[in-house]
Amino acid sequence: MSAGEDTFTVLCQLLEPFNTAKIALKPGTDISADLNIDSVSVMDFVMEVEDHFNIDIPLNVLSETRSIADLVKVVDGRLVKG
Amino acid sequence: MHGTVAKGNIRQDDGEFVLRPTPHQNPVLAKVLGGFATLTAGLDYAARGVTGFNFYSSRGQLEHVLPYRELRTRAIATARKLLTTGLKRGERVAIVAETSPDFMAVFFGCQYAGLVPCPMPYSMYIGGKDAYVSRIAGMLKTARARAVILSSDLASHIGEAARIAETTIVKTFGELQAQPESIEKLRPFDVDDVAYIQYSSGSTSSPKGVLITQKAIVANTRGILRDGLKITNDDRAFSWLPLYHDMGLVGFCLSPMMGQVTVDYLSTTSFARRPALWLKLMSENRNTIAYSPSFGFDLAARRINGEAATLDLTAWRVAGIGGDMVRADVLNLFSEKMSVARFDSKAFTPSYGMAESTLAITFADLSKPVKIDVVDRLHYKLAQKAVPASEELRQSPEKVRSFVVCGRPIAGHEIVVRDDNGKDLGERDIGHILFKGPSLMAGYFENVEATQAIMTADGYMDTGDMGYWLDGEIVITGRAKDLILHNGRNIWPQDIEWAAERIEPLRSGDAAAFAVEGPDGDDDVVVLIQCRVMEGAEMEELRRKVAAVVHQTAGVECEVVLVAPKSLPFTSSGKLSRAGAKDGYLTGEIAEISPVARVPHRPSGEARLHAAE
Repeated sequence: MSAGEDTFTVLCQLLEPFNTAKIALKPGTDISADLNIDSVSVMDFVMEVEDHFNIDIPLNVLSETRSIADLVKVVDGRLVKG
Repeated sequence: MHGTVAKGNIRQDDGEFVLRPTPHQNPVLAKVLGGFATLTAGLDYAARGVTGFNFYSSRGQLEHVLPYRELRTRAIATARKLLTTGLKRGERVAIVAETSPDFMAVFFGCQYAGLVPCPMPYSMYIGGKDAYVSRIAGMLKTARARAVILSSDLASHIGEAARIAETTIVKTFGELQAQPESIEKLRPFDVDDVAYIQYSSGSTSSPKGVLITQKAIVANTRGILRDGLKITNDDRAFSWLPLYHDMGLVGFCLSPMMGQVTVDYLSTTSFARRPALWLKLMSENRNTIAYSPSFGFDLAARRINGEAATLDLTAWRVAGIGGDMVRADVLNLFSEKMSVARFDSKAFTPSYGMAESTLAITFADLSKPVKIDVVDRLHYKLAQKAVPASEELRQSPEKVRSFVVCGRPIAGHEIVVRDDNGKDLGERDIGHILFKGPSLMAGYFENVEATQAIMTADGYMDTGDMGYWLDGEIVITGRAKDLILHNGRNIWPQDIEWAAERIEPLRSGDAAAFAVEGPDGDDDVVVLIQCRVMEGAEMEELRRKVAAVVHQTAGVECEVVLVAPKSLPFTSSGKLSRAGAKDGYLTGEIAEISPVARVPHRPSGEARLHAAE
């Protein structure tokens, strides 16, 4: 990922295929509540995120992640850690 | 050389150690298919060979190798460490059941120490921390767990649950490892002792622990190995099933151990992320046995894409299906996609069981293709008779119902089908399925009332399922209870309602959750909410909150329908009638009140049937 590329923008792109109701994605958008995607699809999405950024997001961290902004923090945190 | 292979480590030329999985079979030790007096007797025997457990990472790399020999050594050391934490014989030890050698060491450590292990779920949904904490707390409380053992990443989640449940000993696997070892003589569980408590049953709001004895686990594993799967020396199992579930724990940890079978594991979360890995690893390792609910076959078939052609699934002789209603369309899709990998569809083996019967009750015949009984839908609905559908009727899919034949009970176990008055029913009469045999649980732990509620005077347990006999084989038609089946999981409507009713301004009795059959034959979840707010934006906000809490609690997508106050039906005793609510919804009597809501309801198979009636 290039230095200037925005994590939020990338996450929105990755989320788009799961956003079947075509809801406008904002940092505050609640991934499970607003998008109403089932647990299997959420795992698909998480896998896409992990593969794209080459990071691992454990379940306990996921359980405390609600909004896209939360996920941005998780991804950026994991990227720094390497 | 064999010693090194068994340990799993081989030194390469460059000095690096590479892991090697345990082999298919023991070259010297004779195969004994269960029948040991206890779990520890089974492990003592398996430890004389070189087979065991292998753990693969989420990217398909072999991460840990745990031959039964090493498992036994670790379990005995763990038993001694558990005893210096202050635990007394017979006390309950909750263990978060991640698919890892640590979990195995503590589970079997409890067996050697005379402590009762209770595997706890390791499953969370995005944003679902609170729901997970209250679920675990409920389990710790009903098990009166004195200790809980967990991985360090769950410290804050489980710590909170332990405080609520007043579980005093909370240790990570690492902390337990650092305990000194007791020098007293170990007293493993004996033939007449208990073995473990399984939490696959009961809702989160009132969990019920299934108490399994040594006798029951010995009987069931023996039935699985000998009658059900007819294990041979060439067998090698594969599992991604969770170890806190009976199918994962009994089917793919305790049974293989009791038969010295090697198992390759992929964790459930890894499978959920990369379902195709299941098939790739099975092809590489030439596994012969794996089980999954229908949805797992569906997921893997859809995700394998072009890679199927690179696989060789010819070794796979038992592709067991359990945990949900077996769906013929899914099996067909899987066979079709996997034919290039030379998957033999005769490997499909429907089976039936539940935690209350330790695990297995029936298995279909291994050598025969899946048998499907197509019956007349109207007779099935109205007369509780499974009447074979005529050729003409079969032309209209909405007029027939297809059921999968699930086989015969394992030796020494008995099934009866009874009507509402307790009268035994014969061929093709649909009734309640009851079960009796040595695999039956001792009861729900410290819950006499719940245990008595499902036991008959003549010693049978009511499974809560409905079905009928067909040529000596049992056919399951569905649940008598309100249980929702989703992706192989049991979801209790009470849990959904309970969670929804805590949202302001909802009150107890404002929610009704049930499943309707979706167009694909799977359960779709509908939640009716009595709505007292009348402003459009507020109504949509309420709908959003309910969907969120259902997601965090149960991990399912649901349709939230806002209905008028006082429209939900209640029984004379004041209990919510879910069946009544569902009928009202399907007939349109109870309907969405928001004028702005889209009308999302697609006519399901059931709605069409209602219309036809």
